[in-house]
Amino acid sequence: MIRRCAFVVLAAMLALSLSAQEPGRVVPSIKFAPVGRVQLKPGESKNVELDFRIANEFHVNSHKPHSELLIPTSLNIPVSQMFKAKTSVGVASVQYPAGEDMSFPFAPDEKLSVYSGDFSITAVVKASPEATVGDYPISGELRFQACDRSACYPPRAIPVKFTVSVTGK
Amino acid sequence: MKRNGLVFIALCVIIIGMVVSGKYLNRVRGRNRVVAGDVRGKVAPDFELTSLDGKRVKLSDYRGKAVLLNFWATWCSPCKVEMPWFVDLQKKYGNDGLVVLGVAMDDSDSAKIAQFASEMGVNYPVLLGTDKVSEEYGNVEFLPTSFYIDREGKFVGKGVGLLARSEIEGNIQKALASHVVGLSEAAESPADKAAGQQVTAQ
Repeated sequence: MIRRCAFVVLAAMLALSLSAQEPGRVVPSIKFAPVGRVQLKPGESKNVELDFRIANEFHVNSHKPHSELLIPTSLNIPVSQMFKAKTSVGVASVQYPAGEDMSFPFAPDEKLSVYSGDFSITAVVKASPEATVGDYPISGELRFQACDRSACYPPRAIPVKFTVSVTGK
Repeated sequence: MKRNGLVFIALCVIIIGMVVSGKYLNRVRGRNRVVAGDVRGKVAPDFELTSLDGKRVKLSDYRGKAVLLNFWATWCSPCKVEMPWFVDLQKKYGNDGLVVLGVAMDDSDSAKIAQFASEMGVNYPVLLGTDKVSEEYGNVEFLPTSFYIDREGKFVGKGVGLLARSEIEGNIQKALASHVVGLSEAAESPADKAAGQQVTAQ
């Protein structure tokens, strides 16, 4: 019964989303793969791989596009969740993959630095030596601007969340 | 088992109700808007936007002209491909009554947009887009999107994404082919003069 209801709800949501779209066009999406609980001891740091999948046929600018007019992909973490001297736990830095230089039918002579398919961003999380045992949610967003082979879509953002657990020494 | 069936039917009724009421609300809210899909024959919603040189520009200022209304952004690479074509087409068909209007959908400031337009050699008015005008034109999400409006202010076509130049030119010719009864094409409105100045100034 629950499965039947869930199917009806999903079908209705799909029908609604399709009816809202331009015929023949699909809105680009990026999916964020959930991250398991990240365990840290006080004073430790760890690299957290954040995995993203871009829908087929789309690409997004890399973190360092070749033109300043293009909107870079960036992981935005609130300042309050960045690691600072007085912070117990936070993101110390973010490392982005290099983009792939690709040309597209709309500009065959131009190379754009892009991500397509799957890509990972590394968030380096750190716990201070004085960090107390407990859970520390990290909540930011991935901002991106996607294009396909003939059109571009306004900048969007998706939430990126994971939890850092500080365990005893 | 019987109870499960009733729950299932109730759920279906609720969902159908949501879909129908959503469509009805969209229709009521969108009476003056362009809906997705075929727009041909519908009247283009009038708007008033600010141009890069600070003037207030209305679509209705260009009644009697064929208008190519192009939504674009500085971050849109396919849009950059079309712009030189629009420059050429404005030169080619300007005397026949074509006006290209660019609507920049950037969040960035107008100085950056003006610099970009200047570097692209744009010879037609560029207006600063708003969410309202995007909504009135059916929520312009895909860039570039162009609307082709005839001399009577009705849509003759719409292009989403980068089109072939020949397709753009074909739509322009359709827009120019229309005639407005009782309005002399030779009459020059203030908007004509403004557009003419912008064309000759660059």
